[in-house]
Amino acid sequence: MRATRRSFLKTTAFAGTGLLLCLELPRLMADEPGVFEPNAYISITQDNVVRLWITRSEMGQGVHTTLAMMLAEELEVDWSQIQYEQAMPGGRFKGIRLRTSGSGSTVGTYNALRKAGATAREMLIAAAAEKWNVDAGSCRAQQGTVVHLATGRKLTFGELVAGAERQKVPDNPPLKAPKDFRVIGTPLERIDGRGIVTGQAVYGIDVRVPGMLYAVMARCPFIGGKVASFDATKALAVPGVRHILPVNSGLAIGVAVVADYTWAALKGRDTLKVQWDPGPNAGFDSDHFLSQMVDQLAKRQPGYFVRDDGDARTALDGAAKKIEATYEFPFQAHAPLETMNCVADVRKSSCEIWAPTQCPEVAQSETAKMLGMPEDSVKVHVTLVGGGFGRRLFADYVPEAVEVSRAIGKPVQMLWTRSDDMRCGFYHPSDVEHIVGGLDRDGRPIAWVQRSIGSNLSIFGFPTEKQQKNLRFYFNDGSPWGSFDNPYNFPNLKADFIPLNSPVPTGPWRAVEYPPTVFARESFLDEMAHAAGKDPLEFRLHLLEPGDVLKVGDAKIDRSRLIRVLQVAAEKSAWKHPLAHTEDRLWGRGVACNVYDEDCFIAQVAEVSVGRQSHDIRVHRIVCVSDCGIVVNPLGLEGQTESGITWGLSATLHGKIDFKSGAAVQENFQDFEVLRIDEAPAVETHIVVTDHPPGGFGETGVPPVAPSVANAIFAATGKRIRSLPITPGKLKAVG
Amino acid sequence: MSAFTLSVNGKRHVVDADSDMPLLWALRDFLRLTGTKYGCGMGVCGACTVHEDGEPVRSCQIPLSATAGKEYVTIEGLSAEGDHPCQTAWLVEDVSQCGYCQAGMIMQAAALILRNPSPTDTDIDAGLSDHICRCGTYQRMRRAIRRAASTVRKT
Repeated sequence: MRATRRSFLKTTAFAGTGLLLCLELPRLMADEPGVFEPNAYISITQDNVVRLWITRSEMGQGVHTTLAMMLAEELEVDWSQIQYEQAMPGGRFKGIRLRTSGSGSTVGTYNALRKAGATAREMLIAAAAEKWNVDAGSCRAQQGTVVHLATGRKLTFGELVAGAERQKVPDNPPLKAPKDFRVIGTPLERIDGRGIVTGQAVYGIDVRVPGMLYAVMARCPFIGGKVASFDATKALAVPGVRHILPVNSGLAIGVAVVADYTWAALKGRDTLKVQWDPGPNAGFDSDHFLSQMVDQLAKRQPGYFVRDDGDARTALDGAAKKIEATYEFPFQAHAPLETMNCVADVRKSSCEIWAPTQCPEVAQSETAKMLGMPEDSVKVHVTLVGGGFGRRLFADYVPEAVEVSRAIGKPVQMLWTRSDDMRCGFYHPSDVEHIVGGLDRDGRPIAWVQRSIGSNLSIFGFPTEKQQKNLRFYFNDGSPWGSFDNPYNFPNLKADFIPLNSPVPTGPWRAVEYPPTVFARESFLDEMAHAAGKDPLEFRLHLLEPGDVLKVGDAKIDRSRLIRVLQVAAEKSAWKHPLAHTEDRLWGRGVACNVYDEDCFIAQVAEVSVGRQSHDIRVHRIVCVSDCGIVVNPLGLEGQTESGITWGLSATLHGKIDFKSGAAVQENFQDFEVLRIDEAPAVETHIVVTDHPPGGFGETGVPPVAPSVANAIFAATGKRIRSLPITPGKLKAVG
Repeated sequence: MSAFTLSVNGKRHVVDADSDMPLLWALRDFLRLTGTKYGCGMGVCGACTVHEDGEPVRSCQIPLSATAGKEYVTIEGLSAEGDHPCQTAWLVEDVSQCGYCQAGMIMQAAALILRNPSPTDTDIDAGLSDHICRCGTYQRMRRAIRRAASTVRKT
């Protein structure tokens, strides 16, 4: 199967799993009498406990709450009656997707969970009707009970369990019309918040299994390097250290130190002597790599086809005004606050895993393969996840724990230190974007030519053999996002891609492929607007006329929805009333917008000030307007807006990973800085409510942040910064 | 290896471990109080914040040798029923996302409002700027701290 953009987001698998259907509702064979389990997601006991299984990983995006809300809506259960359970791969969830990615949790479960809830509700109603010997149509489910409308008779779900089990499972239970929703669309606090604020919530790092030992690893810091030799003598003498062994099954190879407790393992690692063979990439330097990407621009070579509307080259040749610019995006780390970790307990013919993971199916299948066991013998517990952001779509930290547990015959927790996490993981690839734009005599935009150059920009491994044979094939894959699905109505638009691979392991980061392409696209639109003497927001609105639906590849983008969020952003940010400069600071506003996977429309206006002398940058306020169709939990969407903006600002103002001599330079939060509370702007979230199917929102807030801030800085200072992060030093250098 | 007497959440514990072992790992691996989190190991993220004689400190930077005679409180001991004004305000304002940093944030905030029951946003920013929340819950955190402070002022 070809991995298209939509399939990545909606159904498919990643890193070695098979296709998993997300609409499947297998009937469970009730193994417990007295429990009504019409499908994998729901069980109701005779003592009226309603348990809902959550088929995604909770990593801050609120899925425990959102997914429960969708089930509860159709089930007509009282919200306070619910208990939630985390789904595990296999068993009752065989064939049901548990992977959490691409802002796809709400999108991917909306129909299945509502159907699951409705199925249970109809069977409970049928059971009550049977008991009362009345027509099912005269009964209603409400607040965890079924009521006979004519007589007011009422039975709790628990009282109906035995009867409901005997009912036929309806094929197509009626789903509620959105106007009748009571739970969906209501702002609800997190269902699992209490455990977090009392310290009782269990993350991967908190798992404690009887007899468990604690391990850390001396990890080879060189990309593609290996262990030349090691001397464990001193490390083995550290009190508490039990075992020292080489490990080869994860992403980073190295030497594990296993001890009675974490500190002993860390001390053992400090005294361990390891000689590294830096391997074939010892000369890799990310600054040099960036200049190599820029150098590609001078070469007249064909790129892989992304978009080709009209005749952009001819239009450019005839343009009255032609401008061009190059934008640079550095390597980025995920740096979730909970570092990678995994507990593995390998037994003779079974294995148990506890992991903070976005891909439990991969953890299960990889472990089974490694141990030569059937998948059913590998039990994977998904713990709370202390930040995912795409990093935990890789299960590389599972097999290394399995390898150690198998070798020592005991359960073990493998913990990555912060430095391990920052230096030995996967990274968002560094990328260069070059855009040429043409304006006619009246300042109307007539041509757009965008070239993306990057290292494995496509998360699918690019180019495939098939793509190498046919440049036009790339079109159908829809990458790079943001360039491919450029929503603007240019009569002549050409986009292509030149792969330049680096040895750095890359993978999805929050918003996947959008951040670099949207930074370039939305910055350059600003540059074109200024070149044309037009207002940047009006310029965008003009380019989205007539508000029609753009069909590109398998995506359909409703431009009228993007127009609407831009208009609301203009109104809410008082766009027409420019900010006044102050004595020591220059002030400005910038706008940027994006469409995330055709479902989510977003516009942001940033208010920024820059010190006249100090060049320090302060982002004071970001107005964010979004239309992502039906919003399941508005409180969650507001939180994800603030979160996405914070993430975007970290990358805009601070974060980047450099590689020197084949190894990552940054090691901890003192040299990989992220946004802290004293830099966090006021965020105003506005939701444009529409009745389109829900879009996901975990990542949508990120891409417009960097360009809206860069555009605001230009508005304030007249200085255009085209490489991230935007620092006072870069502003000063412009003069 | 030596024996250290640790006073945590009003109870005394004897821990037989290295004198240079940070309090963080004693709490997590010996006392099984895993609410206090490891984030950076060098005192720059705040995830491991606990109270030492009422003051917020980074437990990853305190060796067991420096714990004698001190009273420590962790997130598990902040309140008997999980109803400290900060904990309650955190739930009302729905602050947590991944939640991993939040114990450290709450411990810092609890100490802040005790010292300054009427904090401005500037005070809050200054008081919590040594902490990191990678999810970016800062706006709600400000609201929650103002709410918790107002609860404290009323009681």
